[in-house]
Amino acid sequence: MNTDLNALLESAAATVFTTMLSYTVEFKQNETDSFLDGEMVAGTVGLTGAFNGMIYLYASTAFSRCITCTMLSMKDSEIESNEMVNDVIGELTNMVAGHVKTKLDNGGTRCIMTIPTVVRGKDFRIAPVSGAIRKTVYFQCNGGKVLLEALLKPQN
Amino acid sequence: MPVKILSVDDSKMVRLIVTRAFKKFDCKVFEASHGLDGMATAAKEKPDVIILDVTMPVMDGMEMLAALKENADLKSIPVVMLTAEGSRDSLLAFAKMGVRDYLIKPFKEQDIVEKVSRIVTLAPAPAPAL
Repeated sequence: MNTDLNALLESAAATVFTTMLSYTVEFKQNETDSFLDGEMVAGTVGLTGAFNGMIYLYASTAFSRCITCTMLSMKDSEIESNEMVNDVIGELTNMVAGHVKTKLDNGGTRCIMTIPTVVRGKDFRIAPVSGAIRKTVYFQCNGGKVLLEALLKPQN
Repeated sequence: MPVKILSVDDSKMVRLIVTRAFKKFDCKVFEASHGLDGMATAAKEKPDVIILDVTMPVMDGMEMLAALKENADLKSIPVVMLTAEGSRDSLLAFAKMGVRDYLIKPFKEQDIVEKVSRIVTLAPAPAPAL
């Protein structure tokens, strides 16, 4: 893969979080998985084609609610259900994956995106299978932490 | 007569943003969460513009676009694709399918208003009755 996947993930995160939420994104280097723990919401979008794998966007449950409030111009007490938060995190993940896919496609590496899904849980991470490329970027915005990860395996 | 806009997207968030974007104009925004629902709403409401997502369950945006173009009553409705996929191949496919315009997510409310205002005249929303 000639594309710098880390740079691509950073570009996707900055574009989506700045455009949709007007958040300033601050990337953190040399972080580890302990960057984010506790109750989390993770949006996932699959890519299939020249590369197979997933794009994950993790945020704490509390920060996911904050993002939802910003996105929908509402107060926390107005969030009717987890479904509303899931929809926002899923759609943001979709936009991030779309940005990555567009750059890969334009570089001649064609993929198809799946519809987004959302996972909720505590202290979890999705592990890659052997042979997969794993790239993770860590960033902070509006007082919250977000972890964006790509697990991709080239099609043989 | 308010301008009728149909927003077809599986994300409620996107539909809410689109609806909010046109609140200050004399518009009525209809919503559908997938292409099949979108076709039914389009047939019933005959919107002036359709804002259409690509990746959706049940019937995706490209399938709905094909169905619109095969329907004599609906084929002339202008379609603006609102998509996370902005590759050259995708944009070429939109052009071949006769879409009027496209907007790549992420987007701002004023971006979608600008796209639609190139297709229909958007008048300010009437003042609420006293």
